[in-house]
Amino acid sequence: MSYIKFENLYKSFGSNEVLKDINLEIEQGQLVTLLGPSGCGKSTLLRCLAGLETVTSGKVYLDGKDITNVDPKNRGIGMVFQQYSLFPNMNVLQNVKFGLAMKKVDKALADKKSREILEVVGLGDKLKQYPSQLSGGQQQRAALARAIVTEPKELLLDEPLSAIDALLRHSLQVEIRRIQRDLGITAIFVTHDQEEAMVMSDMIHLMYKGQIEQSAKPTDLYTKPRTSFVASFIGHYNLFDAATMKKLTGEAVDCENVAFRPEIIGISRTPVEKENAFTMKGTVNVSLPHGNILRYAVMCGDIQVDVDVLFGQSELFEAGDEVYLTVSKAECIYL
Amino acid sequence: MKKSEKGPAIVLILILIYLLIPLVVSIIYSMFRNWTGIVPKGFTLETYANLFKDKEFLASLGRTIVIAIVPIVLTIILVLLALFVTTIYFPRLEKYVQIICMIPYTIQGVILSVSILSLYVANPTFLSNRIIMLIGAYCIIILPYIYQGIRNGMRAVNMPVLLEAAEMLGASRIYAFFRVIVPNILSAIVVSSLLAVGIIFGDYVLVRNLASSAWPNVQIYLYQAMKSDSMKSSAVFVIIMAVTFAISAVVLYLRSRESRGRRAQ
Repeated sequence: MSYIKFENLYKSFGSNEVLKDINLEIEQGQLVTLLGPSGCGKSTLLRCLAGLETVTSGKVYLDGKDITNVDPKNRGIGMVFQQYSLFPNMNVLQNVKFGLAMKKVDKALADKKSREILEVVGLGDKLKQYPSQLSGGQQQRAALARAIVTEPKELLLDEPLSAIDALLRHSLQVEIRRIQRDLGITAIFVTHDQEEAMVMSDMIHLMYKGQIEQSAKPTDLYTKPRTSFVASFIGHYNLFDAATMKKLTGEAVDCENVAFRPEIIGISRTPVEKENAFTMKGTVNVSLPHGNILRYAVMCGDIQVDVDVLFGQSELFEAGDEVYLTVSKAECIYL
Repeated sequence: MKKSEKGPAIVLILILIYLLIPLVVSIIYSMFRNWTGIVPKGFTLETYANLFKDKEFLASLGRTIVIAIVPIVLTIILVLLALFVTTIYFPRLEKYVQIICMIPYTIQGVILSVSILSLYVANPTFLSNRIIMLIGAYCIIILPYIYQGIRNGMRAVNMPVLLEAAEMLGASRIYAFFRVIVPNILSAIVVSSLLAVGIIFGDYVLVRNLASSAWPNVQIYLYQAMKSDSMKSSAVFVIIMAVTFAISAVVLYLRSRESRGRRAQ
């Protein structure tokens, strides 16, 4: 049975329909990501679950109970916000104890629990520090501790890492995932960063224009995009409609769009004879190093095809070089 | 001292001298019987001794302190509640609250006191009590300063997020407001109330027109003293200044001790 369930959920701000008929089920103990470009409604969906937004119509269930009209403070949900939200007038320990005090937990027990959870998030030596004395990463870890110390039924994370620099962000992703697994928390993570979603999630729900575009495991989402939007959002797919494809390869295809990932394209100076493959001829326009891969933008006529090659694996091409591209037909996705 | 620091230092010293001269001169006037040449003669503290023996003076000083504190406390509570309701429930009304709170800037004390008198004196009600009228008038006069101070303080803390965070942790909105938001804007509240203390201590028009006989405070006393005895009036002036300084110093000291404690731990 699903732990969280959205049923025919609609949400409008004035005449602006932000969520359209959302139906979504989430299982207990999983970390699920709502991924999508800004303005797709992912944060609003999260806030509807938190109770910080009222829904226009539809139902929200948590642990079998209809919580659509329950006050946020009575939902038993923990939340970490994008902006730093620690209370500036309280030190780290007092911040963490706040939620326990609201639940009228015995003071000695609250103190013990808070210290333990701060140990878990690695802030055991910062108990008496005030938020202004902490770095952004430490503040978000304290906010995480504050959200989970009350043992919420559900933990919501609304882009908690987007204000944190890349290196620290990566270590926090791993850390949040570890804590979530260790404590068996059901969590929903909102992000616009596909790599972050891939690293952290059991399941990704990709949202677009107020609807769930595709729900899949991270690897499936990457290799089997179901719509052209998903293909364009995930993994830098090359995405062409049938007419462009005809122009590019000289072959007609029996679908609306064709998508293929940049790393499955073969690139060479001489034509390669390969069965069941599309072949294209073009000129290297630019080559950009992206860490361990090198991305070529190849112009085939006036159409740009992106090609990714592992650094040092094959011969390098310069801008202006004439190249031949081959893509196995079986690896293309027809949408 | 480095060369580049000299200019600002000189300017600061000049401003300090300019601000302190009236006070210093008043102190000298209040302590010397005779100041016709360059050096004042006839040093005495008798004026001060007499003042502190004068029950009427002490009572008037007490009245000024009471009339400063009551309207400030009332206005702070009023503004906090109004801002709480507007920010959380009716954000659209906030600009109207702002306009209403800014109107008193443009009202002169004379006009305000005359309007209040003509409105309430004719048909006696509970509001026609002179002291209540005076408290009300001071609330109106200090409203813009208190409002602006508290509003700026609220802008500086990220109020919506803090309230939402508290709510997710199980706090009611009103509890979150007074437990989380108010402590964070305490310094803004302190600064604006000090400003308001200054305004009320400096007022003469309102108290003269509204309550000179019902509530003769130290400003009224000073005015009477000016007519009879210049030494006495200087002494009264010095004491008013000292009391104002003392209030500010005590409040700021309490504040700084608190925030120092927060940093040191």
